[in-house]
Amino acid sequence: MPEVVVPIGPYHPALKEPVNFKVIADGEIIVRLELDLAYNHRGIEKAAEARDFVRVVPLLERVCGICSHSHTTAFCKGIEEAMGVTVPPRGQLIRVIVAELERMHSHLLWLGVAGHEIGFNTLFMWTWRDREVVQDMLEELTGNRVNYGMNAVGGVRRDIEPPLVARCLKRLSPLEERIRKYADMVRHEPTTLARFQGVGRLTKEQALAFGTVGPTARASSVDYDIRRDDPYIGYADIPFDVVTDGQGDVFGRTLVRIGELLQSVRIVRYALENLPPGPVRVNTPRGAPKAEVLSRYEAPRGELAHFIRTNNTDKVERLDIRTPTLANWTSVAVSLVGSNLADIPVVVAAIDPCLSCTSRITIVDPGRRQTSVMSWDELRAHGIDFYRRKEGV
Amino acid sequence: MTNASPLAAEDVMKAMEGLGSVDRARTNRLRVIVSPERVREAILRAQGSLGCDHVIQIGIVDNGRVFELHYHLTGPHRTVVTIKTELPRDDARIASSHDLLPPAGIYERQIHDLFGIVFEGHPNLQRLILTEDWPEDEYPLRKDWTMRPDRRYGGSTPEGT
Repeated sequence: MPEVVVPIGPYHPALKEPVNFKVIADGEIIVRLELDLAYNHRGIEKAAEARDFVRVVPLLERVCGICSHSHTTAFCKGIEEAMGVTVPPRGQLIRVIVAELERMHSHLLWLGVAGHEIGFNTLFMWTWRDREVVQDMLEELTGNRVNYGMNAVGGVRRDIEPPLVARCLKRLSPLEERIRKYADMVRHEPTTLARFQGVGRLTKEQALAFGTVGPTARASSVDYDIRRDDPYIGYADIPFDVVTDGQGDVFGRTLVRIGELLQSVRIVRYALENLPPGPVRVNTPRGAPKAEVLSRYEAPRGELAHFIRTNNTDKVERLDIRTPTLANWTSVAVSLVGSNLADIPVVVAAIDPCLSCTSRITIVDPGRRQTSVMSWDELRAHGIDFYRRKEGV
Repeated sequence: MTNASPLAAEDVMKAMEGLGSVDRARTNRLRVIVSPERVREAILRAQGSLGCDHVIQIGIVDNGRVFELHYHLTGPHRTVVTIKTELPRDDARIASSHDLLPPAGIYERQIHDLFGIVFEGHPNLQRLILTEDWPEDEYPLRKDWTMRPDRRYGGSTPEGT
């Protein structure tokens, strides 16, 4: 059978990111993958150079709708390091609470999307219902469901009153019970086993060589977690475990994320129970001295890096953002080689990126010079149908 | 791996001997400044005797005079080793390090797209971030870049073409 070029994407930035894959397939097997990221450069790094620190924070909140707190925390702690300012302990722990709730909502969202991509829509509905509990907590704590507006250079903008602490603590236990249920479910459910196990495999050597980060790396036994390795905002004093797994496939990535959900519950509970008294924010100078800071942060998708240069003014001379998804693309290209066309949705979804929902897929047959078009939904349906015929799931 | 001790400035000085000066920003941030033609050698030494196995980022700064490249590497010692170099603005080119650090391939494409730095030997220095109808010779993240009214930067025009 001749090789077939399957371009996937890009163009529509609605909910998901526009990315273009050109998949070269021999029959059902993928031979090579070419990548064209793009189509949605918003010039945020350039815009950040023109705004003072106070105005950059809301801008960075909008880099990503899901990891908004990650970007503002990475930036604020970088500027605080440049200024030599220490955030009060209470402010730091409130940052941790929002950060871990953000991780929980992101991982629950991912679990639902992964379920959807394999046709397991019941899991999708369940996890998204439980995610509402987290969203409600975030709304009560910060006033917003997304783009929390919590961070400011020097601390956080809102304090938490004791009745709210009690309400949040009460909600954590049922949520933890549900997460344990998912941990048990994915290990026994035939659909998840057939569609996740052995799919998109990445060895430890490959994961290291291709610079993967976050749950994708940790599922291949790469024991990197910035919260422990380069502790920031009080993580050094919080008890938690770094979750790793040795399977290196989509199944391993699922187990790591569920394990991290339980750890996040643990961190949020610890932080709520041990909130020290005192202020949540300190006043900071308007400008920052000449400094160069590499601010690292463990975002839900992996290591986020903000490289910040300040120059005696109230604006950054340069803000260079390396997002975890950019670091993980190389590994997607590698782990898809040799696997089935039907596995693309789930392997791509396994690094938790965002792909355009209205992406169109063109199938080109170089032998007969025929072109047919397939949407992402049709590819997803093809994946589900392929495994239904092959494995009976 | 977890309890590995951080690198000392002396370790980096010893490993980078003859390449450039080493300084320290804080406990786990060490930086060596090298000339552009010795960046690959510095990366090899960092991977060899310093055990760096992960590239965090290739940071780029246009400070108005020169382009600065910062290769941030780390490893089991959890210390960030930064290799810094400077490139002249009028002829910004440097040897690609995609073969030493595979993820650098995508970072170099991004830098080329936004700053116009040429990475010699890169197998596929194609556009990555900007749209295909962006003018070929304009690099929007350079400090001296401004939009030219006589040019098109993609998207539709008021006339709808």
